[in-house]
Amino acid sequence: MPDFTDNLRPSQPDGPTTLARERAESNISPKELSHHLLSADGFLERQSRILSIVQLEPLFSKEKQQNLSRPQRFKLGLARAKLLRRLKDQHKWSHDEYKMAEYLVDDVSPYFFAPGNASEAQRAEWMPLIESWKIVGAYAQTELGHGSNVRGLELEARWDGKTKEFILHSPTLTASKWWNGSLGRIANHAIVVAQLLLPKDGSENKYVSHGPHPFIVQVRDMKTHLPLSGVVVGDIGPKYGYITMDNAYMLFNHFRIPHSAMLSRYSSVNPNTGIYTKPEQPALVYGSLTYVRAQIVHHARLVLARAVTVAVRYTAIRRQFQDRDGDKHGPEMAVLDYPTVQIRILPLLATAFALHYTGQSMRAIYQSTREDVEQGDFRSLAHMHSMSSGLKSLCTMLAADGVETCRRAMGGHGFGGGSGLIQLNNDYLSKPTVEGDNWMITQQVAAYLIKKMTAAVDSLASPASDKTDAIFKEYIRNRGSSPSGLDVLASDRDVVKSFELRATTLTYDVYEQRVLKKKSWNSLLIQLHKLSKAQSQSILVTNFFESLSTNSSLSDSTKSVMWELFRLFAFYTMENEAFEFFRCNAVTKSALDGLPARVQELMSRIRPHAVNLVDSWMIPDYLLDSALGRYDGRIYEDLYNRAHRLNPLNKITFNPNYWEDEIVKGSGESGASILSKL
Amino acid sequence: MPSPPPDWVKALTPAGPQGSELLAQERAQSNINVDKLSELLHTKEFLQRQDQLVKLLQPEKVFDKSQNHTLGRVERLQRSLAKAKRLQQLAEKHQWSMEELHAANELIGEPTPYGLHASMFLVTLREQGSPEQHKLFLERAAKYEIIGCYAQTELGHGSNVRGLETTATWNPDKKTFTIHSPTLTASKWWIGSLGRTANHAVVMAQLFIGGKNFGPHPFVVQVRDLETHQPLENVYVGDIGPKFGYNTMDNGFLLFNNVEIPHINITSALPSPTLVYGTLTWVRSNIVLQSGGVLARGVTIATRYAAVRRQFQDRDADVNAGENQVLNYKMVQVRLLPLLASMYALHFTGRGMMRLYQENQQRMKAAASPGQDSRGAGPEELRAGADLLADLHATSCGLKALASTTAGEGLEVCRRACGGHGYSSYSGIGSYYADYLPTLTWEGDNYMLTQQVARYLLKSARAVLSGKSADNDTSRILRNYLDRREKGASFDILENDADIVEAFAWRTAHLTFEALKHRDAEKRSWNSLLVDFWRLSTAHSQYLVVRNFYEAVSSPNLSQAIDSDSKTIMHSLFRLYALHTLEREAAEFFSSGAVTVRQITLTRTVAVMKLLDEIRPHAIRLVDAWAIPDWQLDSSLGRSDGKVYEDLFHRASQENPVNDLTFDPYPWNENVLKNQPGKSKL
Repeated sequence: MPDFTDNLRPSQPDGPTTLARERAESNISPKELSHHLLSADGFLERQSRILSIVQLEPLFSKEKQQNLSRPQRFKLGLARAKLLRRLKDQHKWSHDEYKMAEYLVDDVSPYFFAPGNASEAQRAEWMPLIESWKIVGAYAQTELGHGSNVRGLELEARWDGKTKEFILHSPTLTASKWWNGSLGRIANHAIVVAQLLLPKDGSENKYVSHGPHPFIVQVRDMKTHLPLSGVVVGDIGPKYGYITMDNAYMLFNHFRIPHSAMLSRYSSVNPNTGIYTKPEQPALVYGSLTYVRAQIVHHARLVLARAVTVAVRYTAIRRQFQDRDGDKHGPEMAVLDYPTVQIRILPLLATAFALHYTGQSMRAIYQSTREDVEQGDFRSLAHMHSMSSGLKSLCTMLAADGVETCRRAMGGHGFGGGSGLIQLNNDYLSKPTVEGDNWMITQQVAAYLIKKMTAAVDSLASPASDKTDAIFKEYIRNRGSSPSGLDVLASDRDVVKSFELRATTLTYDVYEQRVLKKKSWNSLLIQLHKLSKAQSQSILVTNFFESLSTNSSLSDSTKSVMWELFRLFAFYTMENEAFEFFRCNAVTKSALDGLPARVQELMSRIRPHAVNLVDSWMIPDYLLDSALGRYDGRIYEDLYNRAHRLNPLNKITFNPNYWEDEIVKGSGESGASILSKL
Repeated sequence: MPSPPPDWVKALTPAGPQGSELLAQERAQSNINVDKLSELLHTKEFLQRQDQLVKLLQPEKVFDKSQNHTLGRVERLQRSLAKAKRLQQLAEKHQWSMEELHAANELIGEPTPYGLHASMFLVTLREQGSPEQHKLFLERAAKYEIIGCYAQTELGHGSNVRGLETTATWNPDKKTFTIHSPTLTASKWWIGSLGRTANHAVVMAQLFIGGKNFGPHPFVVQVRDLETHQPLENVYVGDIGPKFGYNTMDNGFLLFNNVEIPHINITSALPSPTLVYGTLTWVRSNIVLQSGGVLARGVTIATRYAAVRRQFQDRDADVNAGENQVLNYKMVQVRLLPLLASMYALHFTGRGMMRLYQENQQRMKAAASPGQDSRGAGPEELRAGADLLADLHATSCGLKALASTTAGEGLEVCRRACGGHGYSSYSGIGSYYADYLPTLTWEGDNYMLTQQVARYLLKSARAVLSGKSADNDTSRILRNYLDRREKGASFDILENDADIVEAFAWRTAHLTFEALKHRDAEKRSWNSLLVDFWRLSTAHSQYLVVRNFYEAVSSPNLSQAIDSDSKTIMHSLFRLYALHTLEREAAEFFSSGAVTVRQITLTRTVAVMKLLDEIRPHAIRLVDAWAIPDWQLDSSLGRSDGKVYEDLFHRASQENPVNDLTFDPYPWNENVLKNQPGKSKL
């Protein structure tokens, strides 16, 4: 419907004008840089090809989804997941192409299943059904009362030697499975983790637990989709995000499953004797978790890049107040020119690059470790597992907090639905607590480092066994001697060494407390957390440095800005932990005092390139779904369009008089009748 | 709603020990008198009124909270208006005061579409309207015959009022004003209660008379028909759409196409600067006071849950020991207990601010002489009682920023400390956080505000250097620093509480003179110093919180109100807040010379750890004392009876509409629901 507002334009200079000027001012080529960042496995080509397909589907339009109720939004999510799956067949998409489509549509899919521990025979039986989606599956491990501690699970799988079946049973309410994705309303099968109870030495009534084991269990009828008798299963209700995922609760009442249900790749029960065979290589079990964590780190860079893209473009266009020292009647200043805005956004821009290089390095290490393990060499596994724990913790925290920092840096409009960062924030904030709570898993890093330090002390005379060992031994030899002599403000290599020295010193401190002074583990938890963070930050800085040092393809102008980003990331991180660096002798007092000025100077050098740097991440407008972050800068037109034309609330006229119970004008319906319809 | 579960499920209980037993055990191990402490925090009257209101409101079906997290935006706003209407009916029936209405709204727990009418519209008319306008607008507004809002910010313009684009042009022939929106960015935006509810607005517009701009002025403008509730001709108005939070409020947009209004509609009695600064100071002090309670909600939930939740054995404990309460882990304590200390710190600071504000109002009234108010343009230029007002105003800017940031970010820390279950809406934290966040931006953006603090501190420092300093605490700490700078500081932060306060004062003074050097001696641009100013303001506000907290725990009032054991714990909370803050800002304390490396290391590794041990046994009683009703918390995890798992399961299985639907899971079938023909409507 046309109205007088159709002809209104934003005041000048408008968004497109501003962004065109920003893009012309910088000599960074987004094309070159995006090729460097994203072309390695065909990502960019795939993104544009799949985008052209999904963008055309009305079901994938994101226009109204923020207004829906939970049941409606869930239905939409399922309808989209189904369509994606059908498009996969139609276009004969590879796994990567399918994942790309999911990434662009940007709903957490209720179709999420990755079977792990099946034996070859079980794979032969189940995989065709799973791959053809006759079976829709879920993975059910955590319980209402039990999360990270798998040993604490309560669900029982008791072996009945007579019928050769397992009996699944939930003895308490806290034994209810909880949080299991896709199981609430969608899955008809689940891999259920339960305490394996076997008869004790041929006894009839005495059972002994062999710990948690996975079983594949049908939970719903294949025709009616209703739960089987003896199974109670449902969705756990609304959440902070993940609105399109049906996280589940599930209880069993003496529910019988066949012997073949126990996944037996790593361990098994003899159906005739009830005797248990132990896993050969428990180390393998955490291999897949490591892979998941490597993926999480790699994904984190794109999440952060997305938020930074929106924040940089919006704050480059948004103007507020005149410069206090400038012309009082001149135009208002771009918000991105305020150092108080820069210090929130630009270090995050640098962080996205830091995450990128470490994500790449983790993938490479995962590949080589897997090859080692397949050759029977498990030495690097513990190292990789511990590093992946610390990095998962740090990187998801950086990305989650970063998204929220960007959203808030945009002031009022960041709070609005047009920011494009709301669902991103809601969904991504699950990451700091899933796949190992970010605080809990830092213990794994610290435990590993303490072990390495102990070994280094004990074998000081022997040659170093690996890089960490070499660093530790050098540290022990030089301990207590003169200052380190590192000049972080002058040398990039010294920056890397400074991070290394701080992490090593913290390791030695904890080693001293725990191993030499026998302090309780609990009293050290806070220090262990700090150690993990220091170690992971050191890895990020090192990978960033190494990647830039060895890269020969980037043009000189781009590369010099990349080095500034490296320094900004390093110095900003260092500044936040300045005292710790100083105490560890990793920076001098004068460097400590000089850090704030250096950070500000780096920001002012990066500022002119900010728009081109975010352009290089090539996040499509369709994925951004953001009025504020649009590539063309038409932010105010888009905000107005969303409010005015796409907002269902504006189709309703209210009755505002409090003495009349009617809510919608002319409906005659009171609040009570609105309630009763729910 | 879903049908009840089978009997074998109903018979299940959580594995022991039960949440109720764990909380009872927690409460038994502390001797803090919860009732006395509650009264100290809130007063007996407040607590009684809260009880009465909960009894009155909770049974009303319209105030039911069970579907708050599942409804769509349109349904939520409809229900929100129904709640607002019912509250207003009850207010009329029970002759509630403003305070009672406010308390009732707090218990309902969400903003309603009457919010801006009840606050900004009525206040603006009352304070800025002429007697004639009172008759024309205020009397009818007070009876809700007209419903209004306050329309200042625009699509392209927030904090900077001078940048507004809406115009009001005087037509001398007709004695009218023409209100007009020349551009799209001139659209009013974010205006609470305007989107679907209000029929009037106080509109801020640039006043033009004879081609000359007289700056932004407020006009009362009718925007909707009182009968049909449709927008008037050439007025374009609507709701701005879904948001991160605050979705029960209809924030609106508003455009005018040369709309003529009579002369009477300009609110002519412009408030005096003293009044403006006074009001702003009051509003911000109130935000500080409330921030303690906001944080208390998150901390109450997370602390109770961490006492009920058990996970892993202690690594050094006996293999057969049960799982350990999560609250016993140092890395949980270090996140929650400093926030527990912060909520007390902020509360006492807010109290201190309000008291100073009231004292100052008295003094200004006593000293006021006719015509005085029309003199100054800013707080620095006022005189009678003005030194104190200037100090108070700057103080309130910085504290508003620090307090609301602490509370907002603290809520998210609490949510994450609840681990996986914190992510469920039934934790009660996520949506509360989302609704609270605008507080970090409104009434002065938290980053912008810090400039005002810095400006004031620089001015005070210049005055101190020229020997003309005012008689207030800020000047005292600056003078003290100058006097002792050569000798250096030697504060005994580990043994002496008063020295902790002095160390915070020292750091603030040091940063002030550093900033002054950059600005005056090195002639650095204002813009290039904004980050320094922000740090300076934060340091100054942390000093104020530490000082206020210290004064509160040392005051005779406190000794009379609570027993000595409780008082000891309050001192521990003070030390925890102060030392934990000091440790986190270690570099600045060290650089300023306030403390030594050794002191910081000992603070970190010994003092803070010891304080965590001291406070841990009292944690549950310390949150109980805040006396937040379960109905207000609306949290499975934070229930005062500890029935965490029963409640989570009940809500998931019985109050969750998704479980009413049976889905068709197979991708080749386009139907989303089982047994439903055709495509689902979306």
